[in-house]
Amino acid sequence: MSERIDVLIIGAGPAGVAAGIGARREGAERVVVLERDWDLGGILQQCIHPGFGLRTFKEELTGPEYMHRFIQQAHEAGVEFRTNTMVFQIDRENNTVWTMNKERGIEALNPSAIVLTMGCRERPLGAIRIPGTRPAGIYTAGTAQRFVNMEGYMPGKRAVILGSGDIGLIMARRMIWEGASVEGVYEVMSWPGGLRRNIAQCLDDYGIPFHLKTTVTRIHGQDRLEGVTVAQVDDYMTPIAGTERYVECDTLLLAIGLIPENELSRMAGVDIHPVTGGPVVNDLLQTSNPAIFAAGNVVIVYDLVDNVSDEGLIAGANAAKFAAGKITSAMRIPVKGGENVRLYSPQFVTGEADSTIFMRVTHPVETACRVFAVTDDGTELYSQRLRYARPGEMNEVRIKADKVKASPNISNITIDIQPV
Amino acid sequence: MSEERKFICVSCPLGCGLTVTLDDAGEVVSVEGNTCARGASYARSEVKDPRRVFASTVRVKGGKLPVCPVRSKTPAPKGKLFDITRAVAALEVEAPVKIGQVLIHNVCGTDADIVASRDLEAV
Repeated sequence: MSERIDVLIIGAGPAGVAAGIGARREGAERVVVLERDWDLGGILQQCIHPGFGLRTFKEELTGPEYMHRFIQQAHEAGVEFRTNTMVFQIDRENNTVWTMNKERGIEALNPSAIVLTMGCRERPLGAIRIPGTRPAGIYTAGTAQRFVNMEGYMPGKRAVILGSGDIGLIMARRMIWEGASVEGVYEVMSWPGGLRRNIAQCLDDYGIPFHLKTTVTRIHGQDRLEGVTVAQVDDYMTPIAGTERYVECDTLLLAIGLIPENELSRMAGVDIHPVTGGPVVNDLLQTSNPAIFAAGNVVIVYDLVDNVSDEGLIAGANAAKFAAGKITSAMRIPVKGGENVRLYSPQFVTGEADSTIFMRVTHPVETACRVFAVTDDGTELYSQRLRYARPGEMNEVRIKADKVKASPNISNITIDIQPV
Repeated sequence: MSEERKFICVSCPLGCGLTVTLDDAGEVVSVEGNTCARGASYARSEVKDPRRVFASTVRVKGGKLPVCPVRSKTPAPKGKLFDITRAVAALEVEAPVKIGQVLIHNVCGTDADIVASRDLEAV
């Protein structure tokens, strides 16, 4: 007979810690957060630069400072944490969660509700095919970030960064501050992956060259990386002959995207969205398995940790409601993405509470445009004017519950961004 | 003759494009492109006395991690950042470290303190 747990949360990063707080505030008796690391905070432990929490705390904190505040709130709220604990299986038949811990051994937990908050992983070198050798000196930007910021190692002296995701931009500045040189940042797309302010404060401030529509086409070096060939690409991302250039470097950092980490979600049998790579969820952040909720970068990769924490609070609160028998409904009105929508979450709206749908455009719109939501019967649920819309910056569609309730015959909702 | 300077605001994730107009004496005449008051004050500071928050690590003796993250509590003059990197690199502290603990007062003669940005227990 296993112990009674109302809400069990997997992962103590920003989403999981917030989910714990949300569940306790909603009245769940026993809320346990499992964490495989010895310490709480997830990836924000290594994000030591400022830029977090402006919306939540009205000041810019570093990652560890941001988590410190949330962890304190969680302790005050009575959330239980179990560190050094790995979840290695979730049985889909009865939602049994199997955990492993040095002191406690192997345990089977049967919580009333589960919140998945495992976050995401970086796309590795294997995800893009670069010809050439495979020497030492090639890291994902986040691995290098962990080396420098938590383990006290420098990955190299002369770096090239492939991809312009925020972690890569932040690491460019970090390498410079630690005395290395950064030869350039190369982005295959014609727009930056990261925020404009990070281009300004991490690259422009230090004169680091930033090349759009350019990629690494060959890796050189036997034991240690000696250099890379870079080339410009055409509109179909094919390298243009004659534009190749050799760049000497001993380190190549990859900032080429993040993928939600859903091995456990798949075991648990929840539906995974083919585009987001995360669980399909409704606006309660409930998955296709009604007892399992999900929040944060495990669902869709967000720009801001403030959003991750907000979603964690919502998922935790709804998991607590489910554990108390106050929610049953699974998925309800499907949301469809319009022409210029690459991905979005949640994919269903219940209308039980006001909700936010987060989305990214496929192509940048550099003119005035509007983001909107419209039902199949033509009712406009939301419309907001924007000065621009860019793939690197998420847009929000806010849906009011009473507007959904006022139209009981809706069979779907379309969201999109169009020029005005 | 007035001068126009254009740059991206780094005060928040929006990253507004700012245009600052200066008169002959180098005084700010106007700020355009900002969407909030933080942006206006960033623009003024950026042309007169550019500053950045500095964040790095210091070596730790006897801690659960070999390094502890630190930051400048307030933005430090941009021109002093490389001096500050060297001062911070030279520092080693003993565990335990408390979040907010001042590790260097007025680093490199600036008005900014270097403080720890996490708790770090001793082993």
